[in-house]
Amino acid sequence: MAGNRLGASRRAVVKGALAAGLSFPAMSALLTACGSKNTSTTGAVKIPSPDAPVTWPVSKANTPIEAGLTPKAGSTLRIYNYADYLSPRVLKDFEKKHDVNIRLSTFNDADEALTKVASKELKFDLYFPSYDSLGKLITADLLRPLTHDYLTNYNNLWDSFNNPWYDRGARYTIPYTIYSTGIGWRTDMVSTDIAGMDNPYDIFWDTKYAGNMAILDDWHTAMSMVLLRNGVTDINSTKQSDLDMIRTQLLDLRKTMRPKVTISMYTDMPDGQYGLCQMWSGDAINTPYYLPKSVSPSVMRYWFPPDGKGEVDNDLVVCLAQGDNPVAAHFFMNEILDNHVAEQNFGFTGYQPPLKKFTPDTLVADGYLPQNLSPAIVREQDFKVGYPLLQLPPESDTAWHQVWQEFKAGG
Amino acid sequence: MADGDDRRPPPGSRLLWPLLALPGTVWLALLFVAPLYVVLAILFGGVDPILREPVPVWNPLNWDFTQFTYVWDHIVGHAPFFRPALVRTVLYVTISSVLCLLVAYPVAYFTARYAGRWKGVLLAALIAPFWISYMMRMLAWVNLLQTDGLVNRALSVGFFHVHVDWLQGHATTVVLGLVYGYVPYMILPLFAGLDRIPVPMLEAARDLGASRWETFRRVTWPLSRTAVVVSLLITTLPMLGDYFTNDLLSGSPSTSMIGNLINNSVLTPGQTGQAGAFVLIILVVSIVPMVLYVRSTRSGQDVMT
Amino acid sequence: MTSRRDRRSPAAWYRDPWRKPWVLGAFTLGYLAWSLLPVLVAVLFSFNAGRSRVTWQGFSMRWYYGDPLRSVWHDSSLHTALTHTLMLGLLATVVTVPLGVAMALGLDRWRGRIPAGANLAVLISFVLPEILIAVSLLFVATVLTSPLRLGTSGQVLGLVTFQLSYPVVIVRARLLTIGRDYEEAAVDLGASPFGAVWRVLMKMLLPAIFASAVLVFADVIDDFIIVRYLSGDSSTEPVSVKVYNTARAAPTPALNALTTLLLVASLVAVTLGFLAYRWFTRGEKGRSLDVFAGEA
Repeated sequence: MAGNRLGASRRAVVKGALAAGLSFPAMSALLTACGSKNTSTTGAVKIPSPDAPVTWPVSKANTPIEAGLTPKAGSTLRIYNYADYLSPRVLKDFEKKHDVNIRLSTFNDADEALTKVASKELKFDLYFPSYDSLGKLITADLLRPLTHDYLTNYNNLWDSFNNPWYDRGARYTIPYTIYSTGIGWRTDMVSTDIAGMDNPYDIFWDTKYAGNMAILDDWHTAMSMVLLRNGVTDINSTKQSDLDMIRTQLLDLRKTMRPKVTISMYTDMPDGQYGLCQMWSGDAINTPYYLPKSVSPSVMRYWFPPDGKGEVDNDLVVCLAQGDNPVAAHFFMNEILDNHVAEQNFGFTGYQPPLKKFTPDTLVADGYLPQNLSPAIVREQDFKVGYPLLQLPPESDTAWHQVWQEFKAGG
Repeated sequence: MADGDDRRPPPGSRLLWPLLALPGTVWLALLFVAPLYVVLAILFGGVDPILREPVPVWNPLNWDFTQFTYVWDHIVGHAPFFRPALVRTVLYVTISSVLCLLVAYPVAYFTARYAGRWKGVLLAALIAPFWISYMMRMLAWVNLLQTDGLVNRALSVGFFHVHVDWLQGHATTVVLGLVYGYVPYMILPLFAGLDRIPVPMLEAARDLGASRWETFRRVTWPLSRTAVVVSLLITTLPMLGDYFTNDLLSGSPSTSMIGNLINNSVLTPGQTGQAGAFVLIILVVSIVPMVLYVRSTRSGQDVMT
Repeated sequence: MTSRRDRRSPAAWYRDPWRKPWVLGAFTLGYLAWSLLPVLVAVLFSFNAGRSRVTWQGFSMRWYYGDPLRSVWHDSSLHTALTHTLMLGLLATVVTVPLGVAMALGLDRWRGRIPAGANLAVLISFVLPEILIAVSLLFVATVLTSPLRLGTSGQVLGLVTFQLSYPVVIVRARLLTIGRDYEEAAVDLGASPFGAVWRVLMKMLLPAIFASAVLVFADVIDDFIIVRYLSGDSSTEPVSVKVYNTARAAPTPALNALTTLLLVASLVAVTLGFLAYRWFTRGEKGRSLDVFAGEA
């Protein structure tokens, strides 16, 4: 096989491998994989979980930067993030303080982001992934190990992030924000007492609200919700029976409820486009800001299981090896761990930073959010009982994606 | 050079014409035709095991048909979940095109025939949307159609309160959006076709006692048929690949079209090749009307020369 | 002999072939209102003092330059989108038009299999949905090492490929109506073939060339699919992409201000193009629009 393939298209394969940023052992795995049909090499990527923490090897190809450098004046820092997920004020201040130009590019979903990052074409310095793609990013050698000398504010973080399970020693990542995934609604558009229901997730199948609701445009987040509704707590299940259940109920939801599939709940719901949605806690906290003046913020509600047994996650900041400005990238990482900067950012995005300064119990009193949205506050212990969205093994990943694709194709 | 020309080539031109045509020809060969092969190489290629990005396979002997059969099976097989989006595409595009024609024809007809000294001004106003960004026109409607937007407020005037959730996955909104977006592109060629019909011919028909309707049916319509075909093509084919109108005005899977299938898969790891399959479907489907188009331009040229 | 103002039965009125076309006229006016009013409302709201795009809160220039963070003037991602759009329009037009005009001239005279193939490619690319070209070039940019990269270079190459058929089709339509006589006369009078093309044909083709330049420019700054798939980081996102991304997140009237500015820019460009076009076609009668609708 090798002779034939290499003779005809060695350049192609090599280029493909280079594009994916594969190391040599991974490349031979790739060549083997090419021969058989799409067989994915399990075990090529380690999957960290709270029960099986991972210490990632330090990259051989991407060296950490030396300590003690300063960003070059007038240089450009390229950031890749969700829309409205970084305060423009924070960016402006950083630009002024360090004489750096920031170029913020945005993506709509994590899959799209991963594809663009993997192309290495765009030279982003900083990227804001979740830990479910961390293994892929590291195995494909796309990340630069961090130089902690720059991260003097790291100690501002909750102690539980000192040595996170997804990246022992925080070799590649710093945590960005923490959030839960629950249900958001407006009491002036939804009459049901959702928090009082036996199974609040059933509300998404209540035809009373057909055409008046939305589901998060994020395959894993949306599909896990179906598992939680049915009492399955392994939201990273690899069982076919679980997946079949997700499929049936999700297709039923689409058919009977006509959901919008989007991530812009934080503006759509205040605009009154719908009154009920699957929601990230940070977006819920942000809704009062987007409400028209004529509507009282007291109509907004957010529900997350009071016992904490729901989807709880944190996003990360990583330094991409493809970027030209790793020094400024480190400075920026340190900046958003700064208490004052994090506060400003929290005020704009609504997403809680896991810093000691923000004690969950005083967030309402301190005016970060109204009392009626207090279930959106994430506590340190939520991470002990909550369920994180993990990376799935390749075959399951493909199977889950296919169900999501079927859902989105709108049969 | 196979010389099948019946006209006398001007002396010394043997090299000039090929030289002039060459840059454009090479351009199209490199950037239009060759990339279609890249689509094939990705559609029939592999996926790298870690990031599941596409790995093209250039040698047709090594092509892997998994992704193609996956798409094909889900269009015609026993679990055809792609089929509804394709059917919807045909439906939406057909209805929108017919509505476009129903709107554009009378407007173009009036402008060509009756606008008199207002013709220039009217024409400028009709072409205006052509210079306004498509996205801006869609954005305008997104704002108007908000639940507390002007459309609902205008409809609420009087005794009852209207609260239509226009942007919540309604086929009607998508179709109307498509009509609104593509009508201007149709008016221009229709106008050009209608404006070319000699007025004396129409007056003669009326003088001979034909009613207005009969004049239209017997003279105007037949003479404008080519323009109708061309204008339909100019609006229908781009609509086939449209996904953004849908995204902005609905955002719900229940109105997905083939363009959305492409857009959903093209940047999703592991599904990139499938986008190639959908692109091929569009290519094949477009070839039929294209042949019609080529024939209509042929006949058009015959008339002109 | 137009309108007779006598009172007649509706049936008689209907049968009169010379009656005034009130219904059609009203329909046309209604269409114009439907087509332009939403845009005017969008322009109006770009001057809104509040951040709402649906409730009027007073006049202000806040979203143009007043707001220190989110106005077009101060938000670099917004004004970069505007300048990038105009730059793409200019670059693509400057490359497309000469390439297309030369190709039209060449294909019009060069016979054989290669030009026949090129001809077919032009016609196919003229009618094919844009998404086809966009996806195939995106694949080229992501799996091959070539000058075509995500960002400005890819966008310009893609746009030129997609637009090339415009000047070719329009100029060829014009060539058909011109015929060979002038050029042959010039050659008979001692001009070289190249000189004949340059001095005689080009002058007669100028209206068509202008028309296609204006069309290409307008179409490029309106483009979405190609420029989105081939865009790199935010500095290469033109207005249409910016609108699409922001309209699905948290849009402010700054977005309306941005599109209004683009509208003004394109109207200026079109007016200039039209004036130049009028100047070149002075003395010719009634041809003004045929060139634009060259495909018909």
